[in-house]
Amino acid sequence: MRVIVTKRVKPLRFGGIIIPFLSIVIGIFLATLALYGLARVPPPLVYGAIGQSLISPQMLQTFVMLTILGVALIIPFSAAVWNIGAEGQIIWGMIASAFIGLSVAVRYIMVSQAELPKYTNMPGMFVLPTPTVSGAYAVEALTMSPGAAIALMLILAAISGAVWALIAGLMKAYLDIDEVATTLIMNYIAYYAYNYIVYGPLQGITISTSGFGLSNALHPELRFARISTTTTATWEGVGLMIAIFAIAWFVLRHTTFGLRLRILGSNPNALKAAGINVRKYIVLALTISGAIAGLVGTILFAGNLYQLIKIKTITTPPTHNIGYTAILVSWLSMLDLRGVPIAAYIVASLFQAGINLQSSLGGVSGGSAMISSGALTYVLIGFVLTTFTILRVFSEYSIRIVREKR
Amino acid sequence: MADVINQTSFSQSQPHLGGEITILVRKLVKRFPGVLALDNVKFELRKGEIHALLGENGAGKTTFVKILYGIYIPDSGEIIVNGKKVIFTSPLDAIKHGIALVSQIPQIIGSLTVSENIILGLEKYGMMANVRKIENYIREQSKEIGIRVDPNTEVWKLSYTQKQLVELLRAVILGAKVLMLDEAVTFLPIREKRRFFKFMRRFAERGGSVILITHKIPEALEVADRISVLRRGKYVGTVEAKNASVDTIRKMMFGERSSQITYERLPLSKPSEKVVLDVKDVWVMGDYGAFSVKGVRLQVRAGEVLGIAGVAGNGQLELVQAIMGLRKVRKGKILIRTNGDVIDVTNKGTSKIRSLGVGYIPDEPLKYGVSMENNIEENLAMLPLISKGIIKWGQIRKKAQELINEFKVVTPSSRTPVKLLSGGNIMKVLVGRELSVAKKLLVAYNPTRALDEVTAVTVRKIIKDKVLKHKLAVLLVSEDLDEIFQVSDTIAVMSSGRIAGVFPAEKADREQIEKLMVM
Repeated sequence: MRVIVTKRVKPLRFGGIIIPFLSIVIGIFLATLALYGLARVPPPLVYGAIGQSLISPQMLQTFVMLTILGVALIIPFSAAVWNIGAEGQIIWGMIASAFIGLSVAVRYIMVSQAELPKYTNMPGMFVLPTPTVSGAYAVEALTMSPGAAIALMLILAAISGAVWALIAGLMKAYLDIDEVATTLIMNYIAYYAYNYIVYGPLQGITISTSGFGLSNALHPELRFARISTTTTATWEGVGLMIAIFAIAWFVLRHTTFGLRLRILGSNPNALKAAGINVRKYIVLALTISGAIAGLVGTILFAGNLYQLIKIKTITTPPTHNIGYTAILVSWLSMLDLRGVPIAAYIVASLFQAGINLQSSLGGVSGGSAMISSGALTYVLIGFVLTTFTILRVFSEYSIRIVREKR
Repeated sequence: MADVINQTSFSQSQPHLGGEITILVRKLVKRFPGVLALDNVKFELRKGEIHALLGENGAGKTTFVKILYGIYIPDSGEIIVNGKKVIFTSPLDAIKHGIALVSQIPQIIGSLTVSENIILGLEKYGMMANVRKIENYIREQSKEIGIRVDPNTEVWKLSYTQKQLVELLRAVILGAKVLMLDEAVTFLPIREKRRFFKFMRRFAERGGSVILITHKIPEALEVADRISVLRRGKYVGTVEAKNASVDTIRKMMFGERSSQITYERLPLSKPSEKVVLDVKDVWVMGDYGAFSVKGVRLQVRAGEVLGIAGVAGNGQLELVQAIMGLRKVRKGKILIRTNGDVIDVTNKGTSKIRSLGVGYIPDEPLKYGVSMENNIEENLAMLPLISKGIIKWGQIRKKAQELINEFKVVTPSSRTPVKLLSGGNIMKVLVGRELSVAKKLLVAYNPTRALDEVTAVTVRKIIKDKVLKHKLAVLLVSEDLDEIFQVSDTIAVMSSGRIAGVFPAEKADREQIEKLMVM
């Protein structure tokens, strides 16, 4: 008897669906075993939390952001250009949105406490809750229509994300500097730039924000509209997700640009001989990716956070590391655009499951309550992805058992 | 040193046992999606013989040797090596049984030196190799084989020919008892090839065996003991080389179609006065910092095939790359005329040059010509001359179908990834695509490389037809003199980076040209 492993000429049929599905089932099962073994977390609780999160509206916002980011990453990934810098690009998108939303689209009117009631109910006015350092209260008044302001936020966020990625793109294309390293390092530069900005140009003017690494809060009329009260997902976010997905689909499948990006991933030499400027494509792949990631910055800022909050440690940025999690999403989709929403749904659910699990563990005695929701989330995601990586082998290799005659 | 030599134990002369069977293959079947690549193939390799394996493009020759080398695993059938049934699941298994494959494309690692590449395979010495000892050994062995190469050079600096010779050297040093050469020597210059054939004979006399894949029948007749022929995945038969003729082999390979093979000169065209490509005193640097092209002047007129004859490595490749904008012109000018305007394209970039209606069949077609992971339709649509902006897949599909029909490409569909096609069929796709975009000029480097005779003649006829009918200008570089003589209207000889002579085809003398080539 001998086991023969051969690379398949064509990947397994339906492997793109069967394998992620199987990995989730097996991965979750293994994760429950591990959680039970390590911290005596009762398996029914884990299954309950996961089951709940699959239909929970709370995971919707994570799903929206992960889908958009998954698309953003698949574009350069299919060209074998590795954008690990979505984090930094999101951060710049947030900063750009905050710049528009907190300083271009509004002006601040200083009023005394006596005048305050007049402004509290005045349409278009937003009174900041605490007084400024000088004792007066600040009121945000719109300088433009909310629609124009939101459009500006999105445009500047996309440009900022794009420029941040462009730097790495130019270095890769013209100096042959590895983009994996540059995009990754630039995330941390972005984090520190963000902190500088929340203590500097965009720091809040009230006593509870100024000097505390907090910006002013976004004017309510500039905030994205939530789909329902049970979710943090917004109509604008969902709309952007659908639009970006549709455009990316069209570009990758039906334009020469998309085709050449895909060829760039496997054979740049053939492109050169065909008369295509390969450098331009490398730069564009990263720039487009950065622009889309920048838009996620706006979704996060105007949809969820409404305020820039300083990064205390670089492991806990306001993005919740979603820019890294998105890399998992694009891998789980096996670099097939159609797989992105599915992968994003799974990962978003597991994210939510971690949070749900932690709150239900609150009632369980012992050490298990010590586990943070982050740890739970990553145990779940980690097991699923490991299983996925192993199972993927079956899609690319066939395994046969041959009996040898003696 | 003695240890090293033990690696190649066969080289200590063993009795020549002509009749002993080294490899026996029975009922071998290999299916690829949509194609039956090998259909009940049998084969027998004796100890001490040189066995040529012939067949038209897509006959299954490469698949066959890849199976013997453990790259593909057969669907069914038996392989018996030295009397024992074997299953190879990786080249490592094959190498352990003393079977080595050298293919058309060098597989050695570019950033390592020649000796490092060779040491890599020497398992016993992998970690603690005494480099100098091994280098000396390599020098001795290469002298024996008739290869001159410095073991200390990095591989990327070598020319195609040298890389190929290193591959052969490596296979021998690794202790191969069965050498499989898949078109590995086809493109070597005559002198190296002769030397290697001599070595092959000595190798066989010492008890080694060779499977030689080539599409040159005379070559097979000259060096092989026996010749086996495959046709469309089926075994046709085996003949003794001394009892066979070019005609009988052609009949075995092509059946009825063998009558289409001709090496007669195709009708000469009457070039117009318009010069389409004007190369003026062009100097191009090679990879080693020395000039490879030294002041070349050439003119190709509309409706003319200018054939550049020459031994590989005399600057032809660099010249072609410079014309296509893929290599920098250090001195001189390249001009292209389109509809009355003369455009200076010197160092203007490939996209500019291509946009003037220039088709290009590059050297190393699998690397520079097509994208292997993509299908035929995508390989068409990737060219800016075929598709811009939004791709009309319907039209591309039609175009792909036309190409498949015109060139008789063997493929399950136009959406089959190119990597699943045979080498010859990939070449057909490339030639067809480039001819379709060549409105003014076609620059071709060995355009019929890896094509069987019938297909090669067909391709040459199609090219010539376009020249006659559409007044296309063609710059054809080929290491195959038969090809040069068959299609060219004007023949130029390139040697040491210079044009050694230009002759109108009807006045060209083959002997004189051969002399100029090696001058």
